[in-house]
Amino acid sequence: MIAALIIFLVMAILFGLLQGYASVRFKVEGNPLAEQINQLLPQTQCGQCGFPGCKPYAEALAEGESEVNLCIPGGHKTMIEIAEITHREPKEMAETAPTSQQKLVAKIDESICIGCVHCIKVCPVDAILGATKKMHTVIEQECTGCELCVPVCPVDCVEMVAEPVTLHNWSWPEPSQQTRGRLNRYDSTENAHLLLNKSTKGES
Amino acid sequence: MQVLSSLKVAFIKWVSRLYPMAKRNLYQFHGGIFPQYHKELSLSHPLKRGIIPKTLVLPLRQHLGIRTEAKVKVGDRVLKNQCIADTEKGLSAPIHAPTSGTVVAIEPRYKPHPSGLKKLSIIIETDGLDESIENVLAVDGAHPDSPVALKEIVHQAGIVGMGGAGFPTFAKLPEKRNTVKALLVNGAECEPFITCDDMLMQTHADEIVKGAQIVGHALGVEQIICGIEDNKQKAIQSFSKACADTEIQVHPVMTVYPMGGQTQLIQELLGIEVPSEHHAIDVGVLMMNVATLRAIYHAVTFGNPLISRFVTISGLGLEEPFNAEALLGTSFLELAEMAKPKQPIDYPLVQGGPLMGTALHHNNVPIIKTTNCVLANPPKPVETVMPCIRCGECMDACPINLLPQQLYWHSRNHEFDQVEKLKVFDCIECGCCSFVCPSHIPLVQYYRHAKSTIKDIRQKEAMAELAQKRHEFKLDRIAREKAEREARIKAKKAAVKQKTAQKPQAKSSAAAAAAAKAAALKAKKPSATTEGQPVLSARDKAIAAAKKRTQKAKPSTGTESKAPSDKQPDARQKAMEAARQRRNQAKTAEDSTDKAAPKDSKSAQAAAKRAAAVAAAKKRAKKTTEKQESNDDT
Repeated sequence: MIAALIIFLVMAILFGLLQGYASVRFKVEGNPLAEQINQLLPQTQCGQCGFPGCKPYAEALAEGESEVNLCIPGGHKTMIEIAEITHREPKEMAETAPTSQQKLVAKIDESICIGCVHCIKVCPVDAILGATKKMHTVIEQECTGCELCVPVCPVDCVEMVAEPVTLHNWSWPEPSQQTRGRLNRYDSTENAHLLLNKSTKGES
Repeated sequence: MQVLSSLKVAFIKWVSRLYPMAKRNLYQFHGGIFPQYHKELSLSHPLKRGIIPKTLVLPLRQHLGIRTEAKVKVGDRVLKNQCIADTEKGLSAPIHAPTSGTVVAIEPRYKPHPSGLKKLSIIIETDGLDESIENVLAVDGAHPDSPVALKEIVHQAGIVGMGGAGFPTFAKLPEKRNTVKALLVNGAECEPFITCDDMLMQTHADEIVKGAQIVGHALGVEQIICGIEDNKQKAIQSFSKACADTEIQVHPVMTVYPMGGQTQLIQELLGIEVPSEHHAIDVGVLMMNVATLRAIYHAVTFGNPLISRFVTISGLGLEEPFNAEALLGTSFLELAEMAKPKQPIDYPLVQGGPLMGTALHHNNVPIIKTTNCVLANPPKPVETVMPCIRCGECMDACPINLLPQQLYWHSRNHEFDQVEKLKVFDCIECGCCSFVCPSHIPLVQYYRHAKSTIKDIRQKEAMAELAQKRHEFKLDRIAREKAEREARIKAKKAAVKQKTAQKPQAKSSAAAAAAAKAAALKAKKPSATTEGQPVLSARDKAIAAAKKRTQKAKPSTGTESKAPSDKQPDARQKAMEAARQRRNQAKTAEDSTDKAAPKDSKSAQAAAKRAAAVAAAKKRAKKTTEKQESNDDT
């Protein structure tokens, strides 16, 4: 009886120490959930959620202070993912981004730009190059397409344009989207092999 | 042993009459299919050469890697073999003029690519004279002794893998000798219809052999093996003849699709399987297509760059299919028309073979370095796609042991992480699975889509990461700037405080000593016992602070801070201030008029926009003057 008590007492102390040690040794800095949510967000830093960037929104979500359906560029897909990760009810998107297939990037009409640096100040990723009274231009590779620079321009010289399709960002179409039942002009070879006589495939 | 194996072969051949797939036991790799080849179509007609079309279209990128830049201008006359495009920026292969003529345009033109996009091309109008520059690469005809020397020539000649991938050949060659144990010559042209390599081996076996010797010599290769499919008996004969006195072994291999695939042929000839995510060079093997070797021979011996290639023009829709040594840039349609089409070619031509090739969006596209076949198969009604019945035929046919059915399900459901786990990137897109599928599911299309989507996702992730980093950097920068500004203001305030402490003492010279003592006490400096010292030190500080400010702020603030220390009368100071303001206003007014003047004189097209810009500029100018004024006031 005593022996059992002592054993359990010792074990309890041991495990308690172990736990205490573990909590110090494997201490997690910051909220891991916020970091996880931040990974899901599209990182456009557009502020359309009402927070100044993706990370603040992720932190608010992790604290449970915000709705799951605020990320407009992420769309329905991101909303579902956030709902899953935060164990909350998915909500219908309040607003949806215009469903354009291509990524939009800002483009400054350099003949109109007056060099007011307003767009440079609002750009969340410093993707606009220029100085006071000097022409500005957008670094396309770094533009997230957040559109924050569009409303602040006093002379309306910022436009959102679709990135042109090149061989680098062209991708194969999905088969199910293609018309079936006839070999149309824009069909790829998906059915070209059928031009061979399949009944004689045993012969070489 | 020999007898046993030949008995086994005989037995399998007998069984294959009843069960065709039994033939899969006759070669080393897994899977494979036995399609109808139709190779006799183009082989029954003679080789055509010397076709010089009116215009040649040369895309600036005919290889894997980055685009070259045109070295010629519109209107320039170019000679055959002249280098017309090159770049130093990275992996690429220069492009040379296939014949003499004039550059008429450098503009985007359709390229033989499944996307059907227009890409920048040089368009040459030929003059038919075919004037050439001899030995444009300036070689002495000697075989290079080091891989580096060979690489240089191969690079300058613009040679790329001519089997279809188009990887620049120089990049494939190792830099050190003896890293390659076996050089394999790929003569296993396994796709149906295509016979250009077959024709090349029949007609130019000696040149291919010499090319292989050049590469073998430069790289110090111990073993050179040539694999030729056994349905090309004529090629095997001519090749064996050319190799008679050399160390090159000719190895007839079983006719099966895809025997010509790199990993498959390596497995068949050497029994080595190239590991996933590795290249052949990692296992000490270098494989080259026969056409590539011939191009190397021409470059090293005669100094001629790659300007033409053997192309098969074939298909069920052509009366007289043929092989041609076509100049790069020749139109697909023009070649197909030469083969007497049975019906007008209003259907898409296919570049490459029926299994791996892609149908074109536009038929008038040029032959590029990687084009091996122009296929004209008239469209036939295709069977509808049925649901997958999980028969597993695709799995048995896959030459690289993937699980096509699993890949299909996951690709269809957009579970791309799963698709990647199932090694979709090892898929060579040979089309065996689609060929055997009884439900006619376009499996390869699903894998291609999955591959490009995965690449897309990765790119987006990289973009998001970059955006995140840049955003965080911006936030840091703003915080840093704010802290710096606060520090500056603090310093300024401190300076002002000291100044006020110093002022009364400076005004009345009578109470100087007492004030100095008080200041010394305030400053808590026990060492300040003399009268002059504390005054001086406080003043010095004020001046230093002012100097700091002048460095950071506008020069006008500097004079302003000096003013009180110089004890100038207030009236004079005010007058100066007013004068400065007037000057500033005049200046800004001038500025805005200057700005307005050239803008008004510009074209009338964007007049409205410009007017808005000017108005905004004026507004802005006013704002800035106001700001300046307020700055000056402080």
